[in-house]
Amino acid sequence: MELLNDVTENRRFLPTGLQGIDALLGGGLRQGQLTEITGQSSSGKTQVCLCSASHVAAMQLGAVIYLDTSNSFSPSRIARIVDGFRISLVTEPKNVKLERVLSSIICKSVFDIFDLFEVLRQLELSLKNKVNNGSSKICLLIIDSLSSLLAPINGGKYPQGRSMMISVAMILKKLADEYNLSVLVTNHMVAGNGAPKPALGESWKTVPHVRLVLSRERGSNICAATVLKHTLLASGHVMRFAVPR
Amino acid sequence: MSHNRSAPAEDVLKVAGKCKGADGPSASSVLKGAQNAWDMLSDEQSRKHINTGSADLNNILGGGIHCKEVTEIGGVPGIGKTQLGIQLAINVQIPLEYGGLGGKAVYIDTEGSFMVERVYQIAEGCISDILEYFPYCHEKAPSGQKRLKPESFLADIYYFRICSYTEQIAVINYLEKFLEEHKDVRIVIIDSVTFHFRQDFDDMALRTRVLSGLSLKLMKLAKAHNLAVVLLNQVTTKFMEGSFQLTLALGDSWSHSCTNRLILYWNGKERYAYLDKSPSLPVASAPYAVTGKGVRDAVSSSCKRVRVT
Repeated sequence: MELLNDVTENRRFLPTGLQGIDALLGGGLRQGQLTEITGQSSSGKTQVCLCSASHVAAMQLGAVIYLDTSNSFSPSRIARIVDGFRISLVTEPKNVKLERVLSSIICKSVFDIFDLFEVLRQLELSLKNKVNNGSSKICLLIIDSLSSLLAPINGGKYPQGRSMMISVAMILKKLADEYNLSVLVTNHMVAGNGAPKPALGESWKTVPHVRLVLSRERGSNICAATVLKHTLLASGHVMRFAVPR
Repeated sequence: MSHNRSAPAEDVLKVAGKCKGADGPSASSVLKGAQNAWDMLSDEQSRKHINTGSADLNNILGGGIHCKEVTEIGGVPGIGKTQLGIQLAINVQIPLEYGGLGGKAVYIDTEGSFMVERVYQIAEGCISDILEYFPYCHEKAPSGQKRLKPESFLADIYYFRICSYTEQIAVINYLEKFLEEHKDVRIVIIDSVTFHFRQDFDDMALRTRVLSGLSLKLMKLAKAHNLAVVLLNQVTTKFMEGSFQLTLALGDSWSHSCTNRLILYWNGKERYAYLDKSPSLPVASAPYAVTGKGVRDAVSSSCKRVRVT
């Protein structure tokens, strides 16, 4: 019963700002949970990440940490997304709003797995301090893309790669749970037998709470998202959404 | 591995202290070396792009090839990948006073397709275009004119010839040190990443791992040294949905490893470029031409542009 109360009161859904995905996930990215987006190259994964980051920041839900592995974090793209929001909670001049939104998105480039461990450790430390002095809270952690960090060490004969992957998973879930973060990671697709499938293999499959597959028609901005796995909802639903221009 | 990723901690703190956001937390108080998006935006807006030589091409790329990003350029043989690569190596050197970056170039050649005579031609073409656009500068600044010789353009391209994939990996590892010593390099061109990886590789899983490791290294170089990385890639056929279609080589995993992807293709007798992947720009295509002077606008493009916009 206490658990239920805790869940309904504290675990908010953070809207991604993309209607299709929000509807699909029953409101958005849930706090305390690990959401994974997978899809082919240029299927819109980064766009979903950028959209969610800007939406969460714009709604003043909290700060966003964005860990970028492929130099694809584009502040000018975020500025354009923020510009495109029709609803404004408070009437404020455009550039003031832009500055407020952008300064609550914190970006860091991460280029190997050891960097990631270091960053996550620091993040945990600062989150601990934050809880103590109760200043502005971080609510969303985005890693775009996790699989490019894991790909060079994963597979082959060596088991170290896999165990590192599992410890990343453990740390992420711990952060999500203890500090009420919503964690969003992206994953690649690799060629499987016949059809492409999400990378990182079987042992990663069990890690995320929610898995989404994105696909996009060539040359259009309409994406389709499919639920592969969800803790509450039935999987297999498909929703279409448009990436804002 | 990460020793030169960021400035010393004190410097970061100093910088971050200056630019604390409106009500957001200061970035460095959360993560060392992190930046908030507001600071990054002003940084990005002040950045210059590398001219491709064709205005239409620059247009779909949002001004040209971006520094701090990895751009992959792919296409069928003979479409002009190498031409574009050489053009970029020349154009990155256009001096600041003529609207360029005034940087140097690193050209890693794996196929042996870097023709010095052709580079000389393109350099000449570039200089004659500069003098056409800035005739007054040419007269006023004799010091500027002294620099504008094809020889000096050629002298500022660092050329590596690679004969096996082991060498390719070694050079990319060595680049970190090289770029540390040559701070004015603004572009690294690899022509092509594919060649050596398409042969003598039995273990495909190993190839995938090696390649993804390489791409992370290149990403890191691009970010740390504020330069553009341009990878030229070949095409391959892939069996998809009942038919053979052309896609870029090196497989699905590799396709995730670039920031931007530009695909060059023939449309009838015209050369077209298609922006296939970009975090900040919509997909678009534009015609271009390869002339004696290098990569330029397609001749008939002016009437087309009117119709499109």
